[in-house]
Amino acid sequence: MSILIADGLTQWFGHEVALESVDLTVDTGEHMAVLGENGSGKTTLLRILSTAARPTSGRLEIMGLDATRERRRLRHRIGYVAHAPGLYPALSATENLDFFCTLQGIGREQVADTLAFCGLSEMADRPAGQLSRGMQQRLAIARAVLHDPKLLVLDEPDASLGSDGADLLAAVMHKRTVILATHDHALANKLCQRTLVLKRGRSVGTATRLHIVK
Amino acid sequence: MTNSVSVALAVARKDLRSEWRTREIVPALAQFVVLALVIANFGFQIDARNAPAIAPGVLWLALVFAGLVAFGRAFAAEREQSSLEAMLMTPASPVAIFAGKAMAAAILLVGCEVVLLPALTLFFGTPLSLPIVAAVLLATIGMAALGCLFAAMVARVRARELLLPLLTLPLWIPFIVVGGQAVQVAMGAGGSYDQALALLIDFDILFVVLASLASRFVLDE
Repeated sequence: MSILIADGLTQWFGHEVALESVDLTVDTGEHMAVLGENGSGKTTLLRILSTAARPTSGRLEIMGLDATRERRRLRHRIGYVAHAPGLYPALSATENLDFFCTLQGIGREQVADTLAFCGLSEMADRPAGQLSRGMQQRLAIARAVLHDPKLLVLDEPDASLGSDGADLLAAVMHKRTVILATHDHALANKLCQRTLVLKRGRSVGTATRLHIVK
Repeated sequence: MTNSVSVALAVARKDLRSEWRTREIVPALAQFVVLALVIANFGFQIDARNAPAIAPGVLWLALVFAGLVAFGRAFAAEREQSSLEAMLMTPASPVAIFAGKAMAAAILLVGCEVVLLPALTLFFGTPLSLPIVAAVLLATIGMAALGCLFAAMVARVRARELLLPLLTLPLWIPFIVVGGQAVQVAMGAGGSYDQALALLIDFDILFVVLASLASRFVLDE
């Protein structure tokens, strides 16, 4: 059963087209990688699929809802890790997650467990601004899964995660539908069943595992 | 759906906690208003007769520029650290998020007023009374609502430092005129203080409601 259906997604920024007529279907529980060079439209596509941005044209249906109109209803079911971690540097890791628990309308019971799951227990009381880039990325991932979303949209989450980053991503992606943008073809092959390749804002096709043409 | 009141309070608490730990805004604003008063003190020939006429103008000038900095930083910091999008990606109402940001910015400005009002008394010899404090606090509420709305609007623009005063100052004029009048009356000039205060309350209600309604469209990209 499809959890996400995108039809003709197009995004213009002024006179520049960032994304052109992208069609996409993602099944429940599927892990899909989005590959492409810098400027190919990966971030634009992921921002639209996570409901962070509205497409200029095209239709997007997520979990049976019109994603451009029902964004707030969908947001407690979607977790999004953006390019930048988007944390509050003066607040500790725990305080960052506590704050987002309030915004998500959920209890704070799972904060400690989520920090432990992401390997941040020892850093729980340290201000986010004093964490390394990799640790900040882990905290951003912890925030994205705090409310146990069904759909996870990850924009290059592996960028600064370190050697055991793939294991964390595999654990986070387990039993969830995931759309993952990355430059790392090996990681895409390891974690995802299917790959969408973008070039200059256009889809140049999808491929199943081990059939990605560089 | 998340509770809007708890979201607004959480956003305000988060901003105030960050400010308490970094001390980025309030100390700088306090220094700024004291310097503005020192300059005004030397710039005008202040004596007991003209102080009540000049002091309200200096007070509102210092307050307006301090407010522009305080409200501008409220959303600029969120944009710089890319955290605004993370907040908006939650089911929390954009209006509640805006209300929390405006509340925190208003409290920071009140922190600056705690320095400004006694300093005004010190430099200009004008009285520091409850009616003056009430007028300034009431004006702060409406100014915070409008200031934060425009700060949110221009936060994603490169020339935001220039645009924010251009958009905000014209709409702050009612607060400056009526607030100035209330402070002048409280300092001994003729006129009706109650009428000025009632007008300030009317402006507060009007602009808080308008800013809250507009914030939904400004924040929800």
